[in-house]
Amino acid sequence: MALSRIRNFSIVAHIDHGKSTLADRLLALTGAMDPKKAVDQVLDSMDLERERGITIKQHTVRIPYLAEDSQEYTLNLIDTPGHVDFSYEVSRSLAACEGALLIVDAAQGVEAQTLANFYLALEANLTIIPVINKIDLPQADVEGTRRQIAEILGLNPDEALLISAKLGTGVPELLEAIVHRIPSPPGDPAAPLKALVFDSFYDPYQGVVVYVRIYEGRVRAGMPALLMSNGRVYEVQQVGVFTPEMKPVEELSAGQVGYLTAGIKRVADAKVGETITDNNRPTAEAFPGYRDAKPMVFAGLYPVEDTAYQSLRDAIDKLRLNDSALTFEPETSLALGYGFRCGFLGLLHMEIVQERLEREFGLALIVTSPSVRYRVITTAGETVEIENPSKLPTAGEIDHIEEPFVRSSVFAPTEFMNPIYRLAQDKRGEHRALEYLGKRVHITFDFPLSEIIVDFYDRLKSISKGYASFDYDFLEFRPSDMVKLDILLNGDAVDALSVILHRDKAYEKGKTLAEKLRAVIPRQMFEVAIQAAIGSRVIARETVKAIRKNVTAKCYGGDITRKRKLLEKQKEGKKRMKQLGKVEVPQEAFLSVLRS
Amino acid sequence: MTLAWSPSRRGPLGVYLHIPFCRQRCSYCSFNTGPYHPAAMDRFHSALLDEIDLVGEAAWAGDVTIGTVFFGGGTPSLLEPIELETILDRLRKRFALDPGAEVTVECNPESLTRAKAEGYRLAGVNRLSLGVQSLDDELLVRLGRLHSSDDARRAFDAARSAGVDNVSLDLMYGLPGQDVARWESTVRGVLAWRPEHLSAYALTLDEGSRWAGEGVAGLPGEETVTAQYWALARMAREAGYEHYEISNYARRGFRSRHNQVYWRAEEYLALGPGACGFLGDVRYGNVKPVERYCTALEAGGLPLGTHEVLTPAQRKAEKVILGLRLSDGVPLAWLEDARSLVETWASLGLLEVAGDRCRLTEAGFLLSDSLFVHLL
Ligand SMILES: Nc1nc2c(ncn2[C@@H]2O[C@H](COP(=O)(O)OP(=O)(O)OP(=O)(O)O)[C@@H](O)[C@H]2O)c(=O)[nH]1
Ligand code: SF4
Ligand SMILES: [Mg+2]
Repeated sequence: MALSRIRNFSIVAHIDHGKSTLADRLLALTGAMDPKKAVDQVLDSMDLERERGITIKQHTVRIPYLAEDSQEYTLNLIDTPGHVDFSYEVSRSLAACEGALLIVDAAQGVEAQTLANFYLALEANLTIIPVINKIDLPQADVEGTRRQIAEILGLNPDEALLISAKLGTGVPELLEAIVHRIPSPPGDPAAPLKALVFDSFYDPYQGVVVYVRIYEGRVRAGMPALLMSNGRVYEVQQVGVFTPEMKPVEELSAGQVGYLTAGIKRVADAKVGETITDNNRPTAEAFPGYRDAKPMVFAGLYPVEDTAYQSLRDAIDKLRLNDSALTFEPETSLALGYGFRCGFLGLLHMEIVQERLEREFGLALIVTSPSVRYRVITTAGETVEIENPSKLPTAGEIDHIEEPFVRSSVFAPTEFMNPIYRLAQDKRGEHRALEYLGKRVHITFDFPLSEIIVDFYDRLKSISKGYASFDYDFLEFRPSDMVKLDILLNGDAVDALSVILHRDKAYEKGKTLAEKLRAVIPRQMFEVAIQAAIGSRVIARETVKAIRKNVTAKCYGGDITRKRKLLEKQKEGKKRMKQLGKVEVPQEAFLSVLRS
Repeated sequence: MTLAWSPSRRGPLGVYLHIPFCRQRCSYCSFNTGPYHPAAMDRFHSALLDEIDLVGEAAWAGDVTIGTVFFGGGTPSLLEPIELETILDRLRKRFALDPGAEVTVECNPESLTRAKAEGYRLAGVNRLSLGVQSLDDELLVRLGRLHSSDDARRAFDAARSAGVDNVSLDLMYGLPGQDVARWESTVRGVLAWRPEHLSAYALTLDEGSRWAGEGVAGLPGEETVTAQYWALARMAREAGYEHYEISNYARRGFRSRHNQVYWRAEEYLALGPGACGFLGDVRYGNVKPVERYCTALEAGGLPLGTHEVLTPAQRKAEKVILGLRLSDGVPLAWLEDARSLVETWASLGLLEVAGDRCRLTEAGFLLSDSLFVHLL
């Protein structure tokens, strides 16, 4: 296939602006998908994607397209996720392309991830085609959206295409624009092989399936493939393309996008950004490599049943095969037993991992409240990274603590500015910039990451009636007045409830936690003192009074059976109790406090 | 057809007979009882005699001795002495009723006269249990009782003058509107009568009682009920009574032998609707409705309702749990598997180990279910 007839592009946008629906339309229109087999967002093939109606993984598909010039083109389309947790998926997809379709929902306008993804495409030097979608909606504001594309993104508004991905309106024109505007890939098929790994997944039968973009040369089965970053050599077993199913082909050559298998055992052996070349005729220079996806949010995962520890380990191991952003290491908790401290890209990622573990592996899990990674500078001058509050060095050993900050964008109609500023203040946000865009504003804040991972997004959505959008990116570590808040039951710390937080937030958090515990801890044989403390200083205290009586006065007429049944029922209830030191707490209630 | 299970030894066995009628249902009552009619009583009475005969047909019946008999209800004192006598006679005919057997009848004050008490005594009854409940007339009305505190006193005197030298009184605390002082005055009052035995139960509203259904205002809080328990414990001790079971007090030598059959996990026969029995390793109960009970017997069958064969583990657990209700406690060895629990309870002052036995303290009685749950 001549390079001039190949077009490689990604579809990027803010969440829900219609990327996957457009991909459907492109597949249907080019005949790549049998309309009888078509379902909505056909590329969202994972169960969770289908259920949640969102894209989590990038999806690659090759489409043959007979253009108006009567030439047949090969379009390699990559559909990407819109959610901020998965922007890593977007950036690595862009690395395989020359162009990007930037979709903007005509009813929503430019939003936070529109801007973020636009920058990603710019950085990757791609040709960007702005596409205004959902023009069929009655509330579509095409002109307003055009203006925003010009003002916020600095793109030529006349270049924007108007489509309805749902109805197919404007999609034929879009196909032509793809052919005409996006450059054909460079590269020399005769040169030594130089392929970029932009994704991979583990298949139990074929080992690792590597997504590749061929930049130079060609690859076919039997070739000894050298992975340049680690020097390993594998024999290529199969090359192919996604239709979207995997379909083997004779060879992949410069400019093309597809996959190869080579008996690679672990996803980690063929990392994103890896350069694959012909071991017999290696290329001169490897790609610069690619940053790893870095976990930002951490939480302890524990099996509800102690006996499920090994199953949990195996399950996380399996998930990790296809999710290199997920990190884990064993940890133990007095309250929760044996588990793992896991790292996630964000809260959605965490939820998804949890759901998959529960659903696909049938595990019942306890998840501790999510936190971030802190940097502790010790008095000895060392830097320690802390993801688990209970690992924090003692106050005497700490010189200061640094916490991760993010730079964030908030897009919202002007009328919501006040509540947004109030929310930002509550979340220790620092205002950076404000830009008026007609009836909307774009506000830039720096936030401590810890403040936005839990309830920030929900609150933002609710104070803005759903109109505000939000995006963030890691910025830097900054010194902060962080403290460790411990919760003690009768003097014993419940390690699973310890949190690191800003001193200004400690009192309120301590008070809330103590109150919540008081509400869920049933009365025991003895008084239970619940204390929230920073070091040895108690900042909040609650008491659960001792139970005074629990007795069956009478076994009426010798009805012993009834009494035994009652006790047996109580005993059943005890099984669902969690033992914290000497104090018994109903499992469910304890989990609800953990989650809060 | 007779019982399919048999006692594990020759006795002595207990016998519980249920008399399922009352003149009026008390506000808190969820027991198996219905309105009294002479005709219904007649029908029931002959069914009960049939039941004794049927159970008495068992091969083992002639070999076992009966050590205690308890007429419970309902209101057993609705039985005429002659009716009661025929019942006891029938028991004697079918089983070996120990001449020294403890024979108790529960009586409601309004239906106990001197003549009746004497009739009972002559029939072989040697212990009466009087449902006094309270000496507070206002409370008695709320409870739906048909007697006043004076009636109770009269009934007690009637028993005494009829020559019954073993009388137990039933009391209730934790009643609506009852504070500690009001309770103390009831306790003071009845202790002055010098009964041989006292049972005192904190009010519990089980499903089926009027108050459980409609709700009732003024129930005292746990603090008050606990204080009432302690007031009784203290006053009874000072008056020379032994707190020998969670809810029972007795002067020396007057513990209820029949109740101890239950707490020692010994065996007993069930007679009458809804009565529960324990023979061998089987706990069983008769059908509850009087109508079904009578019909079954009239058709020549036993009125059995449910039964459960205890596993050895269940038997063992029951023995510990029931035994710990008594101030005698149980052999420490029975709690071998619960060492740490015993230690914790002892450290909280809820349990005492003395030699090779262990027993609950009065504080431990109050929290006993919290311990028993772990011993199942
Ligand atoms: N009315 C209308 N609805 C559309 C159009 N395009 C997409 N939608 C709807 O918008 C919603 C989101 O569409 P998706 O295609 O899943 O959006 P996405 O951008 O892939 O979403 P993420 O992958 O989660 O970021 C769906 O309910 C679609 O049916 C359109 O042109 N018109
Ligand atoms: S006398 Fe006893 S059985 Fe009869 S109604 Fe009152 S409480 Fe119930
Ligand atoms: Mg999608």
